[in-house]
Amino acid sequence: MVNNNHRVIKKIGFTILVLLIVLFSIFPFIQMLSTSLKFSWDWGNPSLVPTEINTTAYSEILGLGEEVEIEIPASVQKLLDNTPNLTDEQKNAILAKYTDTSDVFPFFDYFKNSLQFSLTASLCSLLIAIFGAYSIARMKYRGQKIIQRGVLFVYMVGGILLLIPLFKISTTLGLTSSEGGTTFALVIIYIVQTLPVCLYMLGNSFRSIPFSIEEAAFIEGYSRFQTIVRIIIPLSFSAIATVWVYSFMIAWNEYLFASVFLKSYTNMYTLPIALKALFVSKNAIWDRVSAASLLTAVPVVILFMLIQKFLAGNKTEGGVKE
Amino acid sequence: MAVRKLTLQEKDSRLGIKLVLPSVIIIALLIIYPIFYNIYLSFFDVKMNGDAFFIGLKNYANVLTDSTFWSSVGITFFFVISTTFLTTVMGLVVALVMNKKFPLRGLVRSLVLLPYVAPVISTVYSWQFFFDPVNGIFMHVLVDVLHISQSRFNLISDPKYALWVAVVFSMWKAFPFTYLMILSRLQTIDTTLYEAAEIDGAGAIRKFWSITLPELFFVLGSIVLLRFIWNFNKFEEVYLLTDNVKVLSVYTYFKAFTGSLDLGQGSALVVIQFSLLVGLILIYVKKVLKW
Repeated sequence: MVNNNHRVIKKIGFTILVLLIVLFSIFPFIQMLSTSLKFSWDWGNPSLVPTEINTTAYSEILGLGEEVEIEIPASVQKLLDNTPNLTDEQKNAILAKYTDTSDVFPFFDYFKNSLQFSLTASLCSLLIAIFGAYSIARMKYRGQKIIQRGVLFVYMVGGILLLIPLFKISTTLGLTSSEGGTTFALVIIYIVQTLPVCLYMLGNSFRSIPFSIEEAAFIEGYSRFQTIVRIIIPLSFSAIATVWVYSFMIAWNEYLFASVFLKSYTNMYTLPIALKALFVSKNAIWDRVSAASLLTAVPVVILFMLIQKFLAGNKTEGGVKE
Repeated sequence: MAVRKLTLQEKDSRLGIKLVLPSVIIIALLIIYPIFYNIYLSFFDVKMNGDAFFIGLKNYANVLTDSTFWSSVGITFFFVISTTFLTTVMGLVVALVMNKKFPLRGLVRSLVLLPYVAPVISTVYSWQFFFDPVNGIFMHVLVDVLHISQSRFNLISDPKYALWVAVVFSMWKAFPFTYLMILSRLQTIDTTLYEAAEIDGAGAIRKFWSITLPELFFVLGSIVLLRFIWNFNKFEEVYLLTDNVKVLSVYTYFKAFTGSLDLGQGSALVVIQFSLLVGLILIYVKKVLKW
């Protein structure tokens, strides 16, 4: 009887511990959801359930609300019509003043920018890393060991340590003065940020494939290259998916380099810097910021849920970057 | 025959080099070269128009005589040591809990990953809202429920408290990673060890100290070192949550990219930060990676 009571207490204690851990982990997300659905008069209410549901934050950010009519004052329209020597460029500049939408948050534009940067960088990095990691893990040549160790060393070098020299180099090369150059610089920086992790994780995964499988392929007449494409890649699917999600996440969440390189290109803003800009602007209000925060997190959360079953038990020890 | 085999091997190693070359070139150009270029820059006065004048050690002299630099070194060490400690303990506790079977464990494991997966930027505003003096739940509990404080105040704008908020936030963000690493090691511990201990009459605590902890020693060591190195360079988590906690990374960012845009002095700061770290990185490489 005493023993039984003891067991029940233990079980209750354990359940409370689990609940506390879950609450600690997800409370900020619940609060985000709650605030994004509250009216401003309801913000001070400590209850997480909104008194009344307010969806304007979402409809505004996603552009679902009614389109704001562009109103150009009659006098300006007249000026535009009656001044034939204005170039198109000048006309557009005048019109832009009246169609300025800087106080709304064009979520989908930023989403598209983020997606372009993250997809390009993560896919390039993955492609380079698959062959690089195979070479490091499976092939023998002079310098192979040094490269293997070097990869781990550079992986300790954080972004802030590279920001100044990379920015100076990009300006000297003239990359930062055009949109194309800036895009190129940022994509290649994201590639190098994710490359060491990809090389390390994929290398570990390739090493775990029994060599006899490869040997059989060689006997069948496969070349090295064919072996990689037809044997190694399909066999390491889960590792490749995990590595891709990691590098996508690193690029998607990146703030530091984007904030310096994209500073003067507002139309190229990625979600993290756009969100920061929204918050410091006069329009920064909690419901919109919360809604935008939540929507920014959704893509990476979904990706992670998809690969979650690969995570535990994967040989990622010490080889994952944040 | 022997000659033929050699050429085949040669051919193979040529291919190996070709396959690894793109990775090596990118890393050399974008990590190794910038590290040295940064050292070079730190001896120059870099003007905004791109001109640079050699000024010897003046950047270093300016940095080292600046009292805010020394206070940011102190803040950095406090931040790094406390976050490393808290993250590791929290990660260990969660890993031990998740290693047990209980209903809905799969769901709980997914939910616990959220802080780690979500972008820093989308979590900071919820934390700021939590501590907001007007709307935040924290002040509501502190003032209206527990009556610990007489009036509501802005916790995050006070550097003393903001540092603690940053520490807890950083722990919240990083513990899922630590827990995953520890859990995957826990799952490989031979269960017969526990069975044998039970036969010998060992209790849960005894089993933890005599089996679990020694088995985890290696992974815990590498996690602590990695966390220390990573958090030493941490920028986003601190800067985006509050600009009142001037760890070295934030201090450097402000020096180099705001106000007078002093890239030269920023470089000198980075060199100092890097040299503080190199010792630790070498220990990591020697002990954990076994060069």
